[in-house]
Amino acid sequence: MTLGRSVALVGGTTIPWGVRAATWAELAQEVGAALFRRVPSLRAEEVDSFFLGAAEPERFAFQSHVAPFAAEQMGLAPRRIIQRTELACASGQSAIRSAYAAIASGLADVAVAAGVEKMNLPSMPEANTSMACVLDRAWDGAHGGTAPPFFAMVAQRYLAEHHAPPEALTAVAEKNHAFANTNPHAQFYAKKFDRAKLDRLPLVSPPLRLGDCSSMTDGAAAVLLVAGELAGRYTDTPAWIRGSGQYSDFHNLAHAGSLTDWTGLTRAARAAYDMAGVGPEGIDVAEVHDCFSISEIVEYEALGFCGRGEGARYVLDGRSGRGGDVLVNPRGGLLGCGHPLGATGIAQAVEVFDQLAGRVPPERRASDPRWALVHNLSGSANVHSVMIYEGGTAG
Amino acid sequence: MSDSGSAPAAERPKARAAPEGSTAPARPAPPPRPMVPLPYLLDFFPLQEADQTGIARFFARLREGRLSTTRCSRDDLLHWPPRVACPKCHGTELTWVDLPERGRIYASSAVLAGAPLGMEADVPFAVGLVDLDGVPLRLFGRIVGRRWEALAIGLPVRVEGFELADGRVFYRFRAEPEPGPPGG
Repeated sequence: MTLGRSVALVGGTTIPWGVRAATWAELAQEVGAALFRRVPSLRAEEVDSFFLGAAEPERFAFQSHVAPFAAEQMGLAPRRIIQRTELACASGQSAIRSAYAAIASGLADVAVAAGVEKMNLPSMPEANTSMACVLDRAWDGAHGGTAPPFFAMVAQRYLAEHHAPPEALTAVAEKNHAFANTNPHAQFYAKKFDRAKLDRLPLVSPPLRLGDCSSMTDGAAAVLLVAGELAGRYTDTPAWIRGSGQYSDFHNLAHAGSLTDWTGLTRAARAAYDMAGVGPEGIDVAEVHDCFSISEIVEYEALGFCGRGEGARYVLDGRSGRGGDVLVNPRGGLLGCGHPLGATGIAQAVEVFDQLAGRVPPERRASDPRWALVHNLSGSANVHSVMIYEGGTAG
Repeated sequence: MSDSGSAPAAERPKARAAPEGSTAPARPAPPPRPMVPLPYLLDFFPLQEADQTGIARFFARLREGRLSTTRCSRDDLLHWPPRVACPKCHGTELTWVDLPERGRIYASSAVLAGAPLGMEADVPFAVGLVDLDGVPLRLFGRIVGRRWEALAIGLPVRVEGFELADGRVFYRFRAEPEPGPPGG
């Protein structure tokens, strides 16, 4: 299925992520500067549209109306479309999807999609409160429900239903942390986490330990998306957007249904696969939403990389690592890079762009990849967003 | 909304009764004070008075120890949380029904770190999803009465209401105490 004009991702960048000595505005300035360094042929006046993924700037930075705020920080003056996209943990991918739709339709030609999130506050209980209001605040958050206990229940059910070895959780964390050691912008670039060390970390929400949980992270990322015929102006190695799918199942936790069979992801992925004309067996590299170690295991299954109940074995057998079936989360995942909500989906797209062009360090490079998949979930895995990219040449 | 529960309309309890011995007629209580000294936008608990929400009945019944919700008879659909409009037929003529107070744990975990503001002193605390007996509802909530380590899938629990420090009410689940040490 073709949607209007073809759309190419022609450049992108991250900045160093972690507990940063930088305000929200400064993170936006940094990523603007980095984008123009990364795409030297880009002139600010060519950017006609701007989409900003930002999940909770009101809660974390006491700032609303953030799209024009960020545009000014980044040195952009969009004249066609300017908007913020908010979909909690998937806000960044939403910015890319919106830019894609705008360019495909002809409303935009040259768009920047960026993500900015500042999460480390002087008062971390306030930050935790903000994370709890991603859920149904009055009915789930009021019990103390946040992401860790929810995904811990997913892990509890998964291990019980499939008699799966708990070591599979640690295996996901170990793999992604090892990849993060190849990514200088990752929050945990300089920290080594082997299996023994991960097993000694404190429990956050049992059975999940600290190493099973992505972090509160300050970070930003940006990509440049253009109409296909303009791609050659900016790069010789564009990544073409070929597929897109989303599915929203529920919101209140009472309606989660099975915690281990993420049918919403299966549906979102099928829509994206069908649109791209490729199936799970064709995917060479995938950036998936490992907000928790258990998430990646359930995602292997829902994305069709393996059968139901086989996700734990899949990672333990190395099928999601280098030399496996699909290289999953080579930039280090959310576990290794941290998870600045609105920036995560953008950074995953940057990795895919670089992977498809063979521009990443050899320790995490996919072997001659053609097809790449990006997945974000948001909230309590109640919404799933999937995009599929194909490598290729400009023109 | 009409009431299909046990209390006839005339005997329905006021949201908050007048003080004992008072001759003044009962009137709606003033808006609640915050439970903890938190600004309103950092406070989790729902507003509960009839001048604040269309489901004040839920909280009034909870104060009597009854967990209830709305039901759409046209769709034979039990809602959670209680609503003012049915998500299926979009009708607004809903009835109130009491829910079973017993259920079993479908999944559980605990918060050992990273608690939100106002809940830091509760750590560690257990939470879980509970299948209520006999109705197709699985509710999320705190689970008290046992250490989190002693909870398990399938364990029976009961719903209970409790009062917040500012007079609002909320609900949680209570598990039977753990068996004592052998011979103890």
